[in-house]
Amino acid sequence: MDKKKIARVTSFRYQILAMIFIVLAGGLVLLPKYQKHEGIKSEVLLSNAISPERYISTDQIANKIINQEPSFILIDVRDKESFKKYSLPNAINIPLAKLLNEESLPYLNQSQFDVVFFSNDNFYADQAWVLCRRLGFKNLRVLNGGLNKWFTTIINPEMPNEDMPKEAFALYSTRKASSMYFGVEYPDQVMTEDLNVNKPAPKQVITVQKKKKKPVEGGC
Amino acid sequence: MGPLIPNGIIPIEWDSIIAIIIGIVFGFVLEASGFSSSRKLAGVFYGYDFAVLKVFFTAAAVSVIGIYYMDYLGYLDISQLYVHPTYLWGALIGGIIMGLGFVAAGFCPGTSLCAVAIGKLDAWVYIGGILIGVFIFSEFFTFFEPLYDGYYFGNKTLVESFGWNPYWVIFIFSIIAIIAFVVSDIVRKRVKKVFY
Repeated sequence: MDKKKIARVTSFRYQILAMIFIVLAGGLVLLPKYQKHEGIKSEVLLSNAISPERYISTDQIANKIINQEPSFILIDVRDKESFKKYSLPNAINIPLAKLLNEESLPYLNQSQFDVVFFSNDNFYADQAWVLCRRLGFKNLRVLNGGLNKWFTTIINPEMPNEDMPKEAFALYSTRKASSMYFGVEYPDQVMTEDLNVNKPAPKQVITVQKKKKKPVEGGC
Repeated sequence: MGPLIPNGIIPIEWDSIIAIIIGIVFGFVLEASGFSSSRKLAGVFYGYDFAVLKVFFTAAAVSVIGIYYMDYLGYLDISQLYVHPTYLWGALIGGIIMGLGFVAAGFCPGTSLCAVAIGKLDAWVYIGGILIGVFIFSEFFTFFEPLYDGYYFGNKTLVESFGWNPYWVIFIFSIIAIIAFVVSDIVRKRVKKVFY
């Protein structure tokens, strides 16, 4: 009896397989679709977001600009008018609304340069960072404090009080020097004009050692 | 998750070893299911045996369904899979040549090697033909090169170029497969049986 039943079922084996096949294929059509996220997982994004590594300080960026490091791109995420009024040297203006436009992607989605976002504070820059990092773009940084901090630290550094540690004074003089690079004039610097601050750098003489001619050696 | 080797889950050095293992298993299955017989392969064209059609159609449909389920569940990322690039005329002309060889000899390159392994003489001749073809192709490569490299369309897929919904494509493809199986069975019953 059992064998007969099995035989009856197995005589329909191809039909059964075909049914399974159609059910599986139809299942794909009927499955509820969900929006798949490109880029990195949310856990990775979170761990990146809470890491302070994504910030770059104004001092660091000033140092990089002065040393003319070629390794980074400055991206101003404010609107066009603010960008025209003032921005960091060589910055590229990509307003936050146009961040993921096609023409701005080559700047953001690359692995050669560090991308530094900045806005007036780091609020909009942070948003730009999150959007781009979520898509898996690499080497993104945010200018900590944005342009406001840029003004209070680099352009107009606060003079330390007399009771502050030595390091504060050292930092102040570095910042002052870098602000002079960005075009700020100080009265005490104007006074010492005779010292020729803007003296052109002396020409470096690079001596090229002439190769000594080797006496001809024997060979084959 | 995603494809195992590009994501570094399996080191790339294992590539050839895995290929050899899969190749051995594949060859064994081909031989075990009788694909090393040229009569079985030629049967598709003469209508007395549709095993080849059924096997390859089923394989394609099962794997595409499996891949899309795995993609849905997040075990695999379809966008990372390798899509073979399209060289239009190269593929068309090459396909015609291969089809001619297929129907003339009753082997496709894979099954011919299987048949060599079990010592079939016609398979040796077929392999010789392949080698002669390779030789001609390489000697005249400068002549064939515009065809070989030209008409490049990139990694095209039906779904991308027509903007189709992949799930519907799979569903319709599976239905076409089953219809093809039924029709091929009907044809096989009508055609005179060949015993081999």
